[in-house]
Amino acid sequence: MAYDDLRSFLQALDEEGQLVRITDEVMPEPDIAAAANAAPRLGDAAPALYFDNVYGFNGARIAMNVHGSWANHALALGLPKQTGTKEQVEEFIRRWDTFPIPPEWRDDAPWAQNSVEGEDVNIFDVLPLIRLNDGDGGFYLDKAAVISKDPDDPENSGKQNVGVYRIEAKGKRKLALQPVPMHDIAQHLRKAEEKGEDLPIAITLGNDPVISIVAATPMEYDQNEYELAGALRGAPAPVTKAPHTGLPVPWGSEVVIEGVIEGRKREIEGPFGEFTGHYSGGRKMTVVRIDRISYRTDPIFEHLYLGMPWTEIDYLMAANTCVPLYEQLKREFPEVQAVNAMYTHGLVVIVSTGKRYGGFAKAVGMRVLTTPHGLGYAATVIVVDEDVDPFNLPQVMWALSTKMNPSGDLITLPNLSVLELAPQAITPGITDKLIIDATTPASPDGRGNYGNPVRDLPEADEWLTKLRHLVK
Amino acid sequence: MTATIATPTECPRCGYESLQLLYSSPVAGAWEVHQCRRCLYCWRTCEPDRRTRRDAYPDSFKMTAEDIRDAPEVPTIPPLRQS
Repeated sequence: MAYDDLRSFLQALDEEGQLVRITDEVMPEPDIAAAANAAPRLGDAAPALYFDNVYGFNGARIAMNVHGSWANHALALGLPKQTGTKEQVEEFIRRWDTFPIPPEWRDDAPWAQNSVEGEDVNIFDVLPLIRLNDGDGGFYLDKAAVISKDPDDPENSGKQNVGVYRIEAKGKRKLALQPVPMHDIAQHLRKAEEKGEDLPIAITLGNDPVISIVAATPMEYDQNEYELAGALRGAPAPVTKAPHTGLPVPWGSEVVIEGVIEGRKREIEGPFGEFTGHYSGGRKMTVVRIDRISYRTDPIFEHLYLGMPWTEIDYLMAANTCVPLYEQLKREFPEVQAVNAMYTHGLVVIVSTGKRYGGFAKAVGMRVLTTPHGLGYAATVIVVDEDVDPFNLPQVMWALSTKMNPSGDLITLPNLSVLELAPQAITPGITDKLIIDATTPASPDGRGNYGNPVRDLPEADEWLTKLRHLVK
Repeated sequence: MTATIATPTECPRCGYESLQLLYSSPVAGAWEVHQCRRCLYCWRTCEPDRRTRRDAYPDSFKMTAEDIRDAPEVPTIPPLRQS
């Protein structure tokens, strides 16, 4: 089932019992963020939240926690809501095999119904903006897909980018946007600023659920997010040309904001409670000038709470962080079995791999660090044997307990790059990184006293089936 | 719910006394959004005191003129191309 817009997905969530409508009047703050903070605490089947009675607004509609559970993530991919985490990652990998699926160009986008331009723009008129966390410097947009092109190669659709970046509303037509240097939009901005130009962008809000997933996927620079959306949906992603910038934007968005990142300009922004579970400090950040806003009649403002994990953002960048790393490692090391990069967008990465020879697991660990995503994340890499499931943390702990000898299995690499938001860095942007080799040493590495491992008894599978039947 | 909106006189975060009204609630008289002209902090008047009152604002979130002056650029502005 492919959803072409947010509204059809919210309806599906409702029908599956995965959407809670809060009809009592709520305060814009702190109620909406507090409810979205609490929702994932309900567990892996937590619902999305829908507010339509917000104090002081006329008819505001706010959807929170739309991707905030494994059940909702499964439904976003058209899977049964009971689908397990590892199974969702495996299905994501299977669908990645069909990448790229070119998008489908459509006319008459629903968001073309209404628009404001130039000095008439006031973002507060269109969106019921709210604060998320106490120390945030203002009202943020943190679930929008931002579209931009490579200024040196604007016709190359592979190098265009669709990504989620932190955005602060700072005036009626002024925003701040955070381009983390390791992310693709930072490369676009750098090129524009080297040329002394502004960078045109489109910011789309309230997207179909797969657009949010691909926009949060750390793809390679020349891979097209819409072509991944097509692979994940099993149908081409519907896109259309934005009226002011001509940028390719999702057909089904609720709101499309167009404008530019003003070249060579910075202004104080933040702090903001980030996905690391810590506030970033105040920084001088880019300035966005809004030139046009197009929006559906009665737009739904889809927003995301983030804080100490797990919150919605951890579900939104879990499977989609594992899979590109898996694909990139597997290309050179087919022995790699699985990658779990679900924790804090892959600041920790766990890889299971077969070993070609002694020392091989350490090489796999080092390759993780040099993947595009590893350059900004992967502060700690844990490598485990091929029979250890990296999604089964008790098994990973068993591997750490028994396979790892600090004298030869902890490799620290000093002064490597990491995103500036990583709080453990020495200087923001620079940290030591750690590879933990928790695999059984392979010949000619003869360390340890491993002998024969204890395997499950051949009859255990049969008994598992029998016991499941008996305990029903 | 009804409210009487008291016009703020200082920024809860940095104490600066020059503020601007950014937005008024669509339902008249419910709340206003103000912004500090120095640190650009934004707040809605109906938020809890810990976000709207200088005397209740947590020290760890406060910002000074030096903090703003010394804030790092993200990302750094690159040199212009020569050609």
